[in-house]
Order: sequence, then structure tokens, then C-alpha cells
Amino acid sequence: MTDAAAQRPDGLDGSPLPGPFPVGVWAKGFQEFLRERPRVQLFGEVVNLRRTKARAYFELRDGDGAAQCSIWNNRLDALKLPEGAFADGVQVVVAGGPDYYPGSRTASPGFSFDVTGLRVAGEGDLLAQLADLRRRLETEGLFLPQKELPLTALPRTIGVITGESGKARDDVLAGLHRRGWGGRLVWAFAPVQDRRAAAAVTAALQDLAAIGEVDVIIVARGGGSLTDLFAFSDETLCRTVALLRVPVIASVGHHTDRMLIDDVAAISASTPTHAAEAAVPRDIRAEQARTLREAVALERHGRRAVVDRARVLARMARVPSDHVARHRRNLHQSLRELRAAAGRRSGERRTATATRALVLHRKALAGAGAEADARRRAVESLGLALTAHEPRRILERGYAMVDDGAGGVVTSAAQAREARDVRVTFADGSVDATIQDGKT
Amino acid sequence: MSDAERSYETATARLEEIIRRLDTGEAGLRETLDLVKEGRGLVEYCAAELDAVSQGLEELQLGALVARLEGTTTSPADEEHRS
Repeated sequence: MTDAAAQRPDGLDGSPLPGPFPVGVWAKGFQEFLRERPRVQLFGEVVNLRRTKARAYFELRDGDGAAQCSIWNNRLDALKLPEGAFADGVQVVVAGGPDYYPGSRTASPGFSFDVTGLRVAGEGDLLAQLADLRRRLETEGLFLPQKELPLTALPRTIGVITGESGKARDDVLAGLHRRGWGGRLVWAFAPVQDRRAAAAVTAALQDLAAIGEVDVIIVARGGGSLTDLFAFSDETLCRTVALLRVPVIASVGHHTDRMLIDDVAAISASTPTHAAEAAVPRDIRAEQARTLREAVALERHGRRAVVDRARVLARMARVPSDHVARHRRNLHQSLRELRAAAGRRSGERRTATATRALVLHRKALAGAGAEADARRRAVESLGLALTAHEPRRILERGYAMVDDGAGGVVTSAAQAREARDVRVTFADGSVDATIQDGKT
Repeated sequence: MSDAERSYETATARLEEIIRRLDTGEAGLRETLDLVKEGRGLVEYCAAELDAVSQGLEELQLGALVARLEGTTTSPADEEHRS
């Protein structure tokens, strides 16, 4: 028993009701009571949706009443509802039962319908189904095959699946006209909004692809309600598109309403006009102008190359004869100059040589005259002088020459005393002598 | 390259490449003449492709085309018309 039970006050005077009981005890009992109620499914509109860390709370309402509901976040997340599918105003079916939070001294109590299962109904239900199918097709890899098909730049035949009387038909024509495209257009009119739509569109796709001439198929439909457009999320239709060998360009509804065909098609266009432009990626008139420009450029290059080459060849052909002629002219000129110069120089040389010969002759004559006489006279006088100075002649005159016997002439008495042994040479021969002088 | 392998995209890409090369002025006489010859072929191909899709819109209904391909006569309602 709690403290509250220990401090139980007296009951109301005269009341036949049991108690008083501590409120916490009663609250827990009430919680147990509610949890024992049978589990049920309810449906209604979601109002005042708010999420906390652990739970999402919302009211489920209809015209006659409402119930406070709560769901654990992990349960809600496991439903993998598409974004926006579970929101205020959405019709939902919930499964669960009543519950009661007993609260405490510091926390408020609260009633809620404890939601253990939830499904979005109405349009929300369609979105949930769409999300589920999208997940499955994507897991199977069916979003890719169409994207891998090559798109022809200049399709010759375009198939268009659309409603016969819809605005989409005019929009496609406008888009093709804008591109300047004038090929073959195969209309495949089909109902695009009732229950027959999905099957009719699927059949048209198969027929167009079977023709073989069709390069690309446009599936076009204007805006509409989610229910109207839902045919374009049909599983059979989408699987057919995914596996078709002809590229499909889809433009269904407004861009915000993404149908499954948008995911499986080669291209998802925002409007039928854009779909037509995507089918003919190039502007035909611009391409024609470009091709013409390129043809002109090619011819210009070709002509220029030939003309340039011809000029070079002509120049090359001219070069040898020009060269020879120029050299011949130069040679002739040089020859003339050489001849002229040679004649001039030999004349000049002849004159100069004669002059020099005369000069030399004169010099030779002059040199051989006076100078020779003088030299002869000088030599004669020198001969006489030398003869006069010859030592033998002097000895013949009675003189004697004293030397030391080794070649040194003794010219004084002192040298004779110092030498002691001397040689005395007379005109007829030499005698050795020893100086005997007391003064040594 | 045969017409079956050639696409308008590859043809235009090659043409642009050829014109760029010629515009550089670096190609010799032999290369220039070869490129011009190849380019002429590509221009002819591109012009023919463009002609094929600029002759005027030819509108058919699926049923008419299927019938024509099967060699049967078309019903008056399905008859093609050029715009």
C-alpha cells in the first residue's frame, strides 16, 4: 500500500459509493480495464497530427465524434508510407484499442486509442499502393531498361498515345511543329482516364512497338485527379513500358503528380509539348542550316587546299628556270667584269714591270761603279796596314818577343821575373830562357 | 562505316571533328583531301536524313499503318493525310 492509502481520509457523508480509493490505484485499474477492451478497427480523418521522439499523436474524427490516437514511431516507420501520405486531412483506417496513461504526481494522465496498425485510405491509399508498387518495380530493376535504349536524333516515325479529343494532342503537334519536324506520325487514340485506360494504353504500346518502324513513342495526357491519372501507374502497363524495345516518353498529368510510368519510361516530360521536343531532340531547320554551313566549309577547305597546292607547284616549277636564268645573268656579268679587269690589270702590270726593270738596271749600274772602286781602294790600304803590323816583320828587324811559354806575352821586367821560365822568340825560332835576376 | 551503323549523331559529331581539324590549317594536302571527301559523304548522309523528316507531317492512325504493313487496303476513316 502506498502512502496515500495509509493516509486515507474519510468518505463523503452518506455516500453509498465505495472508497475513497487513492487515485493512482484507480488509474492503474482503469488502464487495465481499458486494455482489456476488445481490439477494433476505426476509420476517420486525421487531425492535429504531431510527432514526438517516441510517438505520433493525432485525433481521428468524423461527423459524429473523435478519438485521441497515438502510435509508436517504430510502428509508423515500418509502414514505409510515402512522404505526405500520412498527414492532416487524410482518411485512415487504424487498428488497436483504448489505452490510458495513469500519469503521476508530476505527469498528466491521458486517454488514447493505441494504434497498432494503420493504412491510408482514399487518395492516400492510392499513393501508398503506388509507393509499394514503385518499390517493387525498382527492386526488380525495371526503371533502367528504357533509359538504356538509344534515342534517335531524327526519328522518322513517332507513335503518340493520347486521348482523341484532349488538349495533349494539340500540344504534341505544337511541339513537333516547333522542331520543324515533318515525318510520319502514328496516332494511337486511347481512353486515358477511366477503368479501360490502362489496358487500352498497354495494347497501343504493344501495337506501336510491333510495327517496327516506330522510332519513339509518346504517351501524353493532360492534368487530372490522382484517381484519373492512376491508370498510368498500372502494374501491367508499367511492366510493358519497362520491357518495350522502343523508347517511351511519358508526359502524364502535371509534373507534381508523378506516376509510375514516369519512372519506367525513357524520359519523363513535364508537358506534352516537352515530350514532343524530347522525341525530336534536334531542331530540324537549325540542323539543315548547320549541314549547309558545314558543306560550304568543306568545299572551301577543299578548294583552298587544291588552289594553294597549285600555287606551290607553279612556284616550284618556276623556281629552277628562274634560278638558272638569274645565275646565267650573274655569270655573264661576272665574266664581263673579269675580262675587263684582266685586260686592265695586265696592261698596268706590263708598264709597272718595265718601269721597275729600268730602275733596277740603273741602280745596278750605279752600285757597280763608284762603290766598287772605293771598296777596292780600302781593301788595298788595309792590306798595307796589316803587312806593316805583322810581328814576324818586326822580329826580322831585330826585335824579339817574350812569352811565358803558355801563350801569355811577357811585356815587362816584372812579368819576366814573376814568370822565371820564359820563351824568347826571334825571327828564326824560339829559345827557352830562365830569368836570373837577383831582385826576386 | 555503313548506313546501318551510322547514326545522325555520330555523323554530325564526325563532321564537326573534320571541320575543326581543317580549320586548324594543320592538315596536309593528302589529309585535307581525304577529310573533305569523308566530310562530303557525311554531309550527304545528314542532308538525306534531314530531308526524310522535313517533307511535311504525315499523319496516320495506328490501325491504318498496321493495315498498310499487312498489305491490306485501308478504310476511308483511317486514310492518311498530309498536312
